[in-house]
Amino acid sequence: MAKMVINGVSFTAESSRTLLENLEHQGIQTEYQCRDGHCGACQCQLNSGSVQYRKAPLAYVRQGQVLTCCAIATSDVDLTIAEAKLPLKLTG
Amino acid sequence: MNKYTTFSKVQNNALTEPMFFGNPVNVARYDQQKFEIFEKLIEKQLSFFWRPEEVDVSRDRVDFQDLPEHEQHIFISNLKYQTLLDSIQGRSPNVALLPLVSLPELETWIETWSFSETIHSRSYTHIIRNLFTNPSEVFDDIVSNEEILKRADDIAGYYDDLITATQFYQLHGEGEYTHADGRVEQITQREIKRKLFLCMNSVNALEAIRFYVSFACSFAFAERDLLEGNAKIIKLIARDEALHLNATQHIINLWRDGVDDPEMAEIAKECEQEAIDIFMRAAQQEKEWAEYLFKDGSMIGLNKDILCQYVEYIANVRMQAIGFKAPFDTKSNPIPWINNWLVSDNVQVAPQESEISSYLVGQINADLDADDLEDFEL
Repeated sequence: MAKMVINGVSFTAESSRTLLENLEHQGIQTEYQCRDGHCGACQCQLNSGSVQYRKAPLAYVRQGQVLTCCAIATSDVDLTIAEAKLPLKLTG
Repeated sequence: MNKYTTFSKVQNNALTEPMFFGNPVNVARYDQQKFEIFEKLIEKQLSFFWRPEEVDVSRDRVDFQDLPEHEQHIFISNLKYQTLLDSIQGRSPNVALLPLVSLPELETWIETWSFSETIHSRSYTHIIRNLFTNPSEVFDDIVSNEEILKRADDIAGYYDDLITATQFYQLHGEGEYTHADGRVEQITQREIKRKLFLCMNSVNALEAIRFYVSFACSFAFAERDLLEGNAKIIKLIARDEALHLNATQHIINLWRDGVDDPEMAEIAKECEQEAIDIFMRAAQQEKEWAEYLFKDGSMIGLNKDILCQYVEYIANVRMQAIGFKAPFDTKSNPIPWINNWLVSDNVQVAPQESEISSYLVGQINADLDADDLEDFEL
């Protein structure tokens, strides 16, 4: 169990799930396409925290960025995803 | 050294060569790579192998004939455009990039990439042959339809420009080249590098924006349970295109980040505005295309405005992927359902079929841990 913060809103993340699966579990809509680490559509800003990839991603991942579809949080993580749509239950 | 040779006898170390404009590749060896990503992309692309005949498109004919005329126009125009894009992509990377490439893994990636585009071209024939008794009426229109030609010029232009300059350079070295129209151009290696950079950006825009606009149209029909055979094929094509896009993004990013040829890093900086303009022009052309597609009416789930918003949205995502700022205000995906069609692995088939990307034929796990031999005694 780790804490996940997205655009300043936090929730508890399941460590067996990828970041994207955790976001979806909370009803947060973010961009994704291949869910396989090669298209790079889910790339977002990792402000703090560490992640591990289920398998090494093929997409070009810039310093300080992370692919949510294949990364698993290994500590509390703080993400910025500009286009994310958060559900009312989180934003209040 | 500017002459191309199919087997250079220069004893060179490919690990120290730049991606392009170094020594021509001699030994095709893949045990070591300067940029491992291209080897991984080759493996992935090979594991994706599919043939259009695997997909049954026979029901599509009935669906197509039942469509109202304006929807037939949308569908068939879209298909013509896809045919054009893959006709270009099935040959151009080979012709334009192979004479310049210097890394074996990148050389083979380019060939693998282009080959997969020929599969796409073959699948359009598979689709069109099924829909029309006389496929020529569709194919012949591609080279006479003004709306299609407008965009073809822009895409092929960068390739042609690079190819001509490369041919001149490899025959004569640096010098003055007189075009057919009398225009004199100074050909230098740096100038060709600049053309290569712009060409790669144009290809990137093609694969990042243009293709996805056409995918949106194909999937919009299938969302209504229409022309599903076609959508199944386009889904496989989209899966391949994500890889091709990945590769061009990698090449551009490697240049920009200065980890490859330092001169290319300079050129990337110098030509940044031109590269942005290429993307903006592609987005503008796609919007004009949307206008043409929907000129006689919209279809359920997709109209001109939604498609234009998608163009802006996808342009934002793609431009950010290669380090540019998002130029448009559109923040969210106006057609979120498209992502279900773009997921790489949710094709439910038996694993021995080629469609599951994670199922690599003949793959072995070569990771060995010291603990694996713990109980081993002699």
